[in-house]
Amino acid sequence: MLEMSKSVSLLLMICAHGYPECQTISLADLFNRVIQHSARLHRLSSDLYSEFEQYLIPSKNEIGTRKCHTSYIVTPNGKEHAQKLAGEELTEVILKLLMAWGEPLAQFHQSMTQQQDYNIYSSNKAMEMSDMVHELKNGVQKVAEKMQLLGILSTFLNGEDTLHSLESESSSVFSVDHLNFLHCFRRDSDKIWSYLKILKCRILPESGC
Amino acid sequence: MMWIDSGTMPLLTLSVFFLLLSPATSTSAPGRPRVTSCRSPEKETFTCWWEPGDDGGLPTTYALYYCLEGSETVYECPDYKTAGKNSCFFSKNDTSLWINYNISVVATNAEGKSVSEPVEVDVVYIVQPKTPESVMVSVLEDDHGPYLRVSWDKPRSADTRSGWITLVYQLRVKQVKEENWEEYDAGMQKYYNVFSLHSGKEYMVQVRCKPDHGFWSEWTTPAYIQMPDFIPRERSMWIMVAVFSAFILLIFAWTMNVKRSSVKHYLLPPIPGPKIRGFDQQLLKSGKSEEVFNALVIQGFPPTTNYEDLLVEYLEVYDDVKQELVLNGKNLPEGLLKSKTMSSDNDSGRGSCDSRTLLMEKCAEGVEESGMEQELSQFGESSWASSDSGEDRENPASPRQEDRKVQTWPPVFSSPQPHHFQQQQPGGTRASYHSVPEISCRSPPGHSSGGQQNRFSKPGFYQYTQMHSMDSIEHKHVAQVPQSQSAEYVEVQTVDPENILLLRPLANAEGHDPELSDFAGEDYSKVRDVTSDNILLLQRDLSGPQYVRDYCQDQSGQVDPCFMQLQQVEQTCKPTNVHLHLPSLMLQDGMRLAGNGYVDSTIMMS
Repeated sequence: MLEMSKSVSLLLMICAHGYPECQTISLADLFNRVIQHSARLHRLSSDLYSEFEQYLIPSKNEIGTRKCHTSYIVTPNGKEHAQKLAGEELTEVILKLLMAWGEPLAQFHQSMTQQQDYNIYSSNKAMEMSDMVHELKNGVQKVAEKMQLLGILSTFLNGEDTLHSLESESSSVFSVDHLNFLHCFRRDSDKIWSYLKILKCRILPESGC
Repeated sequence: MMWIDSGTMPLLTLSVFFLLLSPATSTSAPGRPRVTSCRSPEKETFTCWWEPGDDGGLPTTYALYYCLEGSETVYECPDYKTAGKNSCFFSKNDTSLWINYNISVVATNAEGKSVSEPVEVDVVYIVQPKTPESVMVSVLEDDHGPYLRVSWDKPRSADTRSGWITLVYQLRVKQVKEENWEEYDAGMQKYYNVFSLHSGKEYMVQVRCKPDHGFWSEWTTPAYIQMPDFIPRERSMWIMVAVFSAFILLIFAWTMNVKRSSVKHYLLPPIPGPKIRGFDQQLLKSGKSEEVFNALVIQGFPPTTNYEDLLVEYLEVYDDVKQELVLNGKNLPEGLLKSKTMSSDNDSGRGSCDSRTLLMEKCAEGVEESGMEQELSQFGESSWASSDSGEDRENPASPRQEDRKVQTWPPVFSSPQPHHFQQQQPGGTRASYHSVPEISCRSPPGHSSGGQQNRFSKPGFYQYTQMHSMDSIEHKHVAQVPQSQSAEYVEVQTVDPENILLLRPLANAEGHDPELSDFAGEDYSKVRDVTSDNILLLQRDLSGPQYVRDYCQDQSGQVDPCFMQLQQVEQTCKPTNVHLHLPSLMLQDGMRLAGNGYVDSTIMMS
């Protein structure tokens, strides 16, 4: 992934220099793609959670004590809080969340296939979710790099190293409780989606906001 | 102990009484309240409502308590008033997203308190926006007709500008008097065009919205609009087309009606009916079939023969190969028979023959034969078979055999003197008339009158009529005297059963007298026979106009008594032939017989 981001940045640099073969995508289009991606991701997670909720009735005790593995990530929980954050911070939060969920989702899919209880549709959704998280992360990174190129965003507060370390930390935290797992992911996908929308309308206010 | 204090008795009664009365209004702890719903209009604040349970007869107070996920801290509702009774309003400061709220309501009264069921709420999922605002409906026109344009605004509280919330809209339209709504999805846009509405009707429009994930808002209050009266262009075009085609059809129908008969004639040509000549339909209609069929009868067809006519026949005498002296009975009435030498008339003589083919053939054969020679055998020797009457068929054969040149000469005798005739008759019985029906050429019916037959053509056509004697039939035969104009005509009255002709003269009646008187200069001679030497045997007149022909028999050797006159002139009748030697044959001119016999040489000449 590091190489990919490097290559993307390299590509962006090449395109910035005006090579004709390079067809750049506008930031608005990039944002729209990313936002659509995250919306689909959230829909998938909601559907999967509803399906699991039918199978597994959550005990009342578990509801209050549930804890997501991404709770250490500080995220704005309101509009004002989100608007108070800078663009770079908001982007960083998004990327943190996406990175934190990449590995757990893969493991989740694996555990689903191992257990024969779940039908094929649920398993497919889980697999799709896992893939989409990776794609969305890449997309957001591209957007961030583009914004950095355009001067909208300054350089990341946290370098790539920090992100990589974050990713490695989250890999060990995986809950066997599928329902809680899905509940956490559903929430985080909604956060991502909302943050992206705020980011877009702040940077490109005239594009359908 | 015996002692009962009378003062305690009423006390006891009263206490019992009070004890009994006190439970009439009992109080209890309140029943459990229930949290009915929690809603957030803009994803920044939210409100929860509850319904109280039984209050237990005592004034009950309600309190809402909540705690956040992952924390044990219990908070009470910050605002009970803003949202109304039995509600709790959470302001922005009190609202946190992506966190579960555990909310419960506690009812308290003097007797006790009761706690409602707890409810888990995440504000992000309970968003229900307010209704859209400023709904405006207007009628616009375009090429296809008028349509509706509906526009609105977002609810004021929803912050879509920052991207915090995204709304999708929906509108619905129906006629005021109808029941079914027509719904349209407008997406994120704030206007919509509605087409294909009916003219002249009143419509009502409503709009609502929904966030990304959340609940639909309420419908706006209806907006009313009146569609103007108009005719759709398509319909007007079709109306015009229909009117025009109806007009054309009317014109067409009227034209056909006017020309009814000619159209009928064109489509169904009348089949020509059968045409029968002479058939009078009027007669048929009048109902007299007799007359109708009588009208069909053509006079003269079929030849209504009296059998008399059948008996009258014509002989064809052929002079030469080239000359065909055709005696054509049919032509007689027309006058002198013209020479048939040049023309080969199809009717030559044969026309006078019977229609039967065989007869025609016989006539033809006879013609051919005689054409070879010009010899006429004597009558007696000639052709007739001495057959009795009624025979046929072989008869023509035998004369042929006898003398192939010979025509069959049916003996025709007309005698003014019946007795003469009769005298000779027996002699001639041998040379009885043979009926050669085939050969015999019948005379046309017109000959029954008898007068016309006796005209001959100049060249010497002689015409003989053959008399048939039919067995059982008595006919009136008309003997034809094949002589000149000067000949006198006789008429055969009857034929006796013995084959005797009874003749009677037809004198004077037809004015042939002048002819009769003239002998010498006349052109016609009666040829009796043609010998093998091309010699005509002529017959002389006996006396005056009347003569009786006699004929010699053949084969039999019997010589008929020739006329005296003849004998003077010529040799006696020979068994075979009676020759009349003429110094020059008949071919010479100016030949004349002395006496009664006459030959028209001129005719023969050619």
